[in-house]
Amino acid sequence: MELAAIILGGPFLAFVLLGVIAPLRRSGRPAAYVSIAGIGASLAASVALLLRFQANPEPTTWEFLWAPLTRSPSIRFGVLLDGLSVPMLVVVSLVAFLVQIYSLGYMNAERPASLGRYYTFHSLFSMAMLGLVASHNTLQTYFFWELVGLGSYLLIGFWYEKPEASRAAMKAFWTTRLGDVGFALGLIFLWSAGGSFVFAELFERADTGELSGTMLTLGVAGLFLGAMGKSAQFPLHIWLPDAMEGPTPVSALIHAATMVAAGVYLMARISPLLGHTPHVAAWVLTLGTLTAFLAATMALVARDVKRILAFSTISQLGYMMAAVGAGGAIASIFHLTTHAFFKALLFLAAGSVIHAVHTNDIFEMGRLWKKMPITGVYFLVGGLALAGVFPLAGFFSKDEILITLWSGGHSIAFWTLLVTAGLTAFYMFRAFFVVFFGEREFQGHAHESPAVMVGPMGVLAVLAVAGGALGPGIARLLERSISVAGHHEASHAGLAALIPYLGTAAAAFGILVAWLGYQRRAFRPEAIRKAAGPLVTLLERRYFIDEIFLFFYRVLYLGLGAVVGWIDRYIIDGLVNFVSWATWQVAGYLRRVQTGRAQDALYAIAIGFLLLVILAMRG
Amino acid sequence: MTDVVFWILAPLLVICALGVVLSRNLYRAAYWLAGALVTTAVFYLALTSPLLAAVQILLYTGGVLTLVVFALVITASTDDKERWRRPMPAGVLALLVFVALASVIDRMGVAGSAQGGLADGTAIGVELFTRYIVPFELLSLLLLGAIFGALAIARREDPS
Amino acid sequence: MTLERLLFLSFVVFSIGLFGVLARRHVIALLLSLELMFNSVNLAILAVAWHNGWLEGVILVLFGIAITVAEVAVGLSLFLLAERIRGTVIVDDLSELKG
Repeated sequence: MELAAIILGGPFLAFVLLGVIAPLRRSGRPAAYVSIAGIGASLAASVALLLRFQANPEPTTWEFLWAPLTRSPSIRFGVLLDGLSVPMLVVVSLVAFLVQIYSLGYMNAERPASLGRYYTFHSLFSMAMLGLVASHNTLQTYFFWELVGLGSYLLIGFWYEKPEASRAAMKAFWTTRLGDVGFALGLIFLWSAGGSFVFAELFERADTGELSGTMLTLGVAGLFLGAMGKSAQFPLHIWLPDAMEGPTPVSALIHAATMVAAGVYLMARISPLLGHTPHVAAWVLTLGTLTAFLAATMALVARDVKRILAFSTISQLGYMMAAVGAGGAIASIFHLTTHAFFKALLFLAAGSVIHAVHTNDIFEMGRLWKKMPITGVYFLVGGLALAGVFPLAGFFSKDEILITLWSGGHSIAFWTLLVTAGLTAFYMFRAFFVVFFGEREFQGHAHESPAVMVGPMGVLAVLAVAGGALGPGIARLLERSISVAGHHEASHAGLAALIPYLGTAAAAFGILVAWLGYQRRAFRPEAIRKAAGPLVTLLERRYFIDEIFLFFYRVLYLGLGAVVGWIDRYIIDGLVNFVSWATWQVAGYLRRVQTGRAQDALYAIAIGFLLLVILAMRG
Repeated sequence: MTDVVFWILAPLLVICALGVVLSRNLYRAAYWLAGALVTTAVFYLALTSPLLAAVQILLYTGGVLTLVVFALVITASTDDKERWRRPMPAGVLALLVFVALASVIDRMGVAGSAQGGLADGTAIGVELFTRYIVPFELLSLLLLGAIFGALAIARREDPS
Repeated sequence: MTLERLLFLSFVVFSIGLFGVLARRHVIALLLSLELMFNSVNLAILAVAWHNGWLEGVILVLFGIAITVAEVAVGLSLFLLAERIRGTVIVDDLSELKG
């Protein structure tokens, strides 16, 4: 338990120190060291926790009473350390640690005060993400969920002088907020029907049937809505490509490895409930598959290397969601872990390139292999892992997902994701060849990145290569935590044995096409692009989803606002004005009673007197 | 004594009252009022209160009426050319009030008369200076205020 | 000379005075009618006091007279001022406090 305190407390302490002590924050590099120390402590404690857990894999919970209630069960907060949260803590703290070190090199052009602010936000985010992972109930998860969103907002909009960055940060916040409304509703439904926020208790009650029916379905659906927002599932994926306005290390951490993974993590956490709600699970599967495919198509035409990676992330998240929907939560988490490694690696490598050439556009780059060989190797490793080439990590995890789908009988999803794998390989290597090889050489000076940037990449590269071996270990840990309900044991028998080969074939095909098109110039991709004009436009404009959202915003939201405003001005104010006008009118008449002539008042007195006498007599 | 006195004085009073209200000439109206006041003084006598009779004549008739006559002289207005202003509603209302009041008498169920001696001046004086000393003093204040008020209001402005 | 008759009488005079107050145009005429009303009330009070032997009645009437005197004094001085400034003795024309 004390380890848990260190894990969560490290970044929290760093955040508080940097937040409160302004001179420390403004000093730049010392602030960075404080933050790195915080997350470093987390990492060490997480690894220690993992080792201890492997020796004694019993989930432990530590609770405290947060809101004592009398007529309902009190609200307790707590830390849950089990086979799902412990490895995740390691992943999160590791990637965060590496990214923070990398940032020392990447953000070297920042003013010290800016740098301090950057690391303060990093500590905030790390604390929130780790808290989210370790939460033992939905309400606490929600708190940290929101904090994570805040960290994301602050970091995306870090260069706030750039209007695109501010807009992107707002877009991210609003889109995830939309999902968060669903999250809040979902957790309320679960609490109302299930009587608790605590995951373990909800699972029990779902198993006994105490928690079931519409409320359960709505609750799980609500939580999935939140996951859709955070994990950029269609159609709430629109914020992720724009979020690339933030610094590349931020993209690596938040939008590849951790925050976007929170949605998948949540779904994996509640996978026992998903087992009881097949409708929602089917929905999750469908949306995940759709997201994976659409995002891959959008990546085909992108020019900005970070955008390509962003679409790729959305696509891979779709894979993970589909797996959860199909009951393969273990496969999903496995892929989440490997994805964290190789996607972060890819982002950091891309960042390395961007840092050197000062542009994001791949077509302005070329033949960088000679000048930045180390980065090139890392990019290649990441790309191979992403494409799912044996024996890198991505192969195993993607494979597991495909197998899960196949043995669950979801053939449409299976074939779609298989095709998507091919597309993935293609777009990834399109980028690789154009950037590092190609015909045109990059005009300008480019040099390899400093050790502080290369080092973290190296660590990730190793993990990307060797991560496949973690598979069985992770599975063992997870099995004890994610209860059996809703989890299919993926069978490797029968036709399923072919799947690894199919996957590899798809990847190879994709790489081959990319090579032919961009390296060998066997055909001209530009011509295809021109020929498929409308299709390309559709993809470049991201299926016009942004426009649809904008339409809803303008017409419905602002329109409704205009209507309400009109009602307010003319009807409500009109009513008030009418009352005022009526008062004036009546007053105008009534005042004529005061004639100023004494005898008229005397008449009134006399009449009053008469009435009094009459009344006195009656009474 | 009683009935005869009443039946002589009562019509007298009523006639004087009518005279006040109906006279066109204001001096005449003032004299009619004097008549009514004096008649009332005689009533006070009949009701065994010579003190009040004296006060009535001295203060009321002698004082008030003198003031009124002075005012009439100063403003040099004697005639009220058109006497009435909407006499009908006034008459009706006065009649109604009278009827209302008169019916009160009916319900009072007054019977007999146990007249008492109200002539004891000493007793009145004692009461005035013991139990009713406070109103007495307040009254003197009121009179003081009235004097100064009247002076202040109607004073002619100094031409200088 | 019964109480009833006395009260009846005083109410008659009261009503006559009321008529005069409401219907006369000249200010002084109004004041005279008002005096008539006060007078009738004094008579009524004394009549009740006489009937029951209450000495307080005398005191009450005494006070009433004194107050009336004060009121007339002030009222007349107001009349003089009004006549001087506005030049009219008609009640209706003194109507500056109108709404």
